[in-house]
Amino acid sequence: MDLKRKLQLAAYALFILSLFAVPLFTDDFGLNRASKYLVYGMLGLSIALTWGYAGVLNLGQGLFFGLGAYMMAMSLKLMSPTSLAQGSDKPIPDFMLWNAEPDAPIELCCITPGSYLWIPFQDQWFGVAMGIVVPVVVAGLLGALVFKNRISGVFVSIITLALVLLVRLIVIDAQPVTNGFNGLTDLGFFTVFGYEFDPYSREMYYLVAVSLAFVLVAGRLLADTRASLILQAIRDDQQRARHLGFDVPLYQTFFFVVSAAIAGYAGMLFVLVSEFASPTFMDLSFSVTMVVWAAVGGRSSLLGACIGAILINVIESQVSETEALVDAWKAIIGLIFVLVVLFLPRGLGGLAHDFVDWLARRDREKAHGLAASSSSPEREVKQDV
Amino acid sequence: MSDALTLDRLTVKFGAFVAVDDVTMSIADGELRVLLGANGAGKTTLMDMISGRVPCTQGHVRVFGRDITNWQEHKIAAAGVGRKFQIPSVFRNLTVKQNIEVARCHGQSVFKNLRFGMSPSDSDRVAEIVELIGLAAVQSLVAAHLSHGQTQWLELGILVAQDPKVVLLDEPTAGMTHDETYKTAEIIRRLRGNHTLLVIEHDMSFVREIAEIITVMHLGKVIAEGSVSDIETNDEVRAAYLGSAGIS
Ligand SMILES: Nc1ncnc2c1ncn2[C@@H]1O[C@H](COP(=O)(O)OP(=O)(O)OP(=O)(O)O)[C@@H](O)[C@H]1O
Ligand SMILES: [Mg+2]
Repeated sequence: MDLKRKLQLAAYALFILSLFAVPLFTDDFGLNRASKYLVYGMLGLSIALTWGYAGVLNLGQGLFFGLGAYMMAMSLKLMSPTSLAQGSDKPIPDFMLWNAEPDAPIELCCITPGSYLWIPFQDQWFGVAMGIVVPVVVAGLLGALVFKNRISGVFVSIITLALVLLVRLIVIDAQPVTNGFNGLTDLGFFTVFGYEFDPYSREMYYLVAVSLAFVLVAGRLLADTRASLILQAIRDDQQRARHLGFDVPLYQTFFFVVSAAIAGYAGMLFVLVSEFASPTFMDLSFSVTMVVWAAVGGRSSLLGACIGAILINVIESQVSETEALVDAWKAIIGLIFVLVVLFLPRGLGGLAHDFVDWLARRDREKAHGLAASSSSPEREVKQDV
Repeated sequence: MSDALTLDRLTVKFGAFVAVDDVTMSIADGELRVLLGANGAGKTTLMDMISGRVPCTQGHVRVFGRDITNWQEHKIAAAGVGRKFQIPSVFRNLTVKQNIEVARCHGQSVFKNLRFGMSPSDSDRVAEIVELIGLAAVQSLVAAHLSHGQTQWLELGILVAQDPKVVLLDEPTAGMTHDETYKTAEIIRRLRGNHTLLVIEHDMSFVREIAEIITVMHLGKVIAEGSVSDIETNDEVRAAYLGSAGIS
């Protein structure tokens, strides 16, 4: 194992360890906030997976995040005490009564048009399953359509962007099923074998931290497969890859789907932690913000993008405690983005990577005595940790 | 079926313009065929049609008797056709070694490649190929930093790693110095025998060195086919080359 690999492993191990050290330093309120940041970290990672490795800049990742969030929230809404207190022996979301015709029966089957969609969500695990399945199916269909037709580059970004806006409109428009603008609030607790996960608890934080650690490790392993190497080759030159016999759209769609599944999972966790789901998850600005996190952290570095997201949010929360800076924050983050794109195109991950290269080179030079190595950092491999 | 590659009345039209016109030729298993022709004769387009990049308007392409006309590129590649592009095309952000490794991955599907590293035999082969194309010293360099000649060799290395039965080479020595050309001839010679090659080449001294049979195209049509001396004395070929660079 070479030095680079060792340092990469060390970085992952250190990060995961420090995830589990956070509860030593903060109270339940702080842990809830930290959980949210970890979810953002997961989103940053999901962006880097498609952007860095597949060269596909998804400007609509909020779609998959939002879909995952709504699926989870629907189940939790039905588990909320208020849903059980609407004058029926079966749970009914309160907003459905507000939207119902006066003489409609108080039952999920028919209280509002489309309310029957909620019926299977009475089982929490159905919501959990759909939180992954729906993003995966949507991403699979979208990917197949886009990549089979050899759409690439900025056009993919535009299509994903348009789609998230479209779905956002549909969600807002379908008020009787989704509670429109207001989203789903007043949710029940996620319950596993009778244990209720309180959003303001260590257990909830650990659930999120374990999830992030798992996604990080799985993502790293995936990025180390031959399939990932082929995907990077496709990113560089699709035509060349085709003539080597690789089914290019299949590779692109596969990684697109994995990224969507991660975003969907992040959406579910976010609902557990924040206790609401809302169409703002599908706001364009949120999807663009995710891209900024990944860019600052390093788009071709899974760990970098994850750390970038967490770092920016920590800074943002510090800034928002200073009154004068709150309004300026949007400008500050915009400025950071521009600076990173101009001077640090590979983000913090790239910077770390260059540093490791420098260390490795110094090592080699020591080993070879005076024999100077001819390679400069820019000439080394550009795929970061 | 002893013919590796058969083209049967192959035609492509871009609008009203016929870039390749009724081309029929047959290349035996293990043969090295040189395709000659002035600029714009349709040589590259012919390779595009064989490899699935440009859909044929008419005619058939057969590889060892199997009709692959207008298949998708990756299926044609999987059927055993590899190609080198006129403008050298490699994976610029991967290292030299990774370029060869990618070409050495088997299977079209993503699921077959969800595994780590190469098999020991494939790793050995990758190292051998890097050695063969003379890029061992720069194998951990990203391909974007290679010189033009090195890039050409890398692409040849990719082809060697892919190991297709039929190899299409579009101007493998374009822009090379004399020494580089010599080394390229060496690599091509290695490909010979186990592979069937179709090579587009302008450099006549190079052609003389490697060619058995030459096919000459002009304005989309095949105008002559024969040995080097046949072609050099063929009147129609001379006429076709008049006004262009000419056979040198
Ligand atoms: N996609 C296309 N659409 C329209 N015309 C095309 C297209 N591709 C090629 N052509 C035309 O077909 C003709 C043959 O081009 P081709 O590239 O095959 O020539 P060539 O024999 O490879 O020439 P060179 O020696 O310059 O590489 C040229 O006149 C070119 O302009
Ligand atoms: Mg050409």
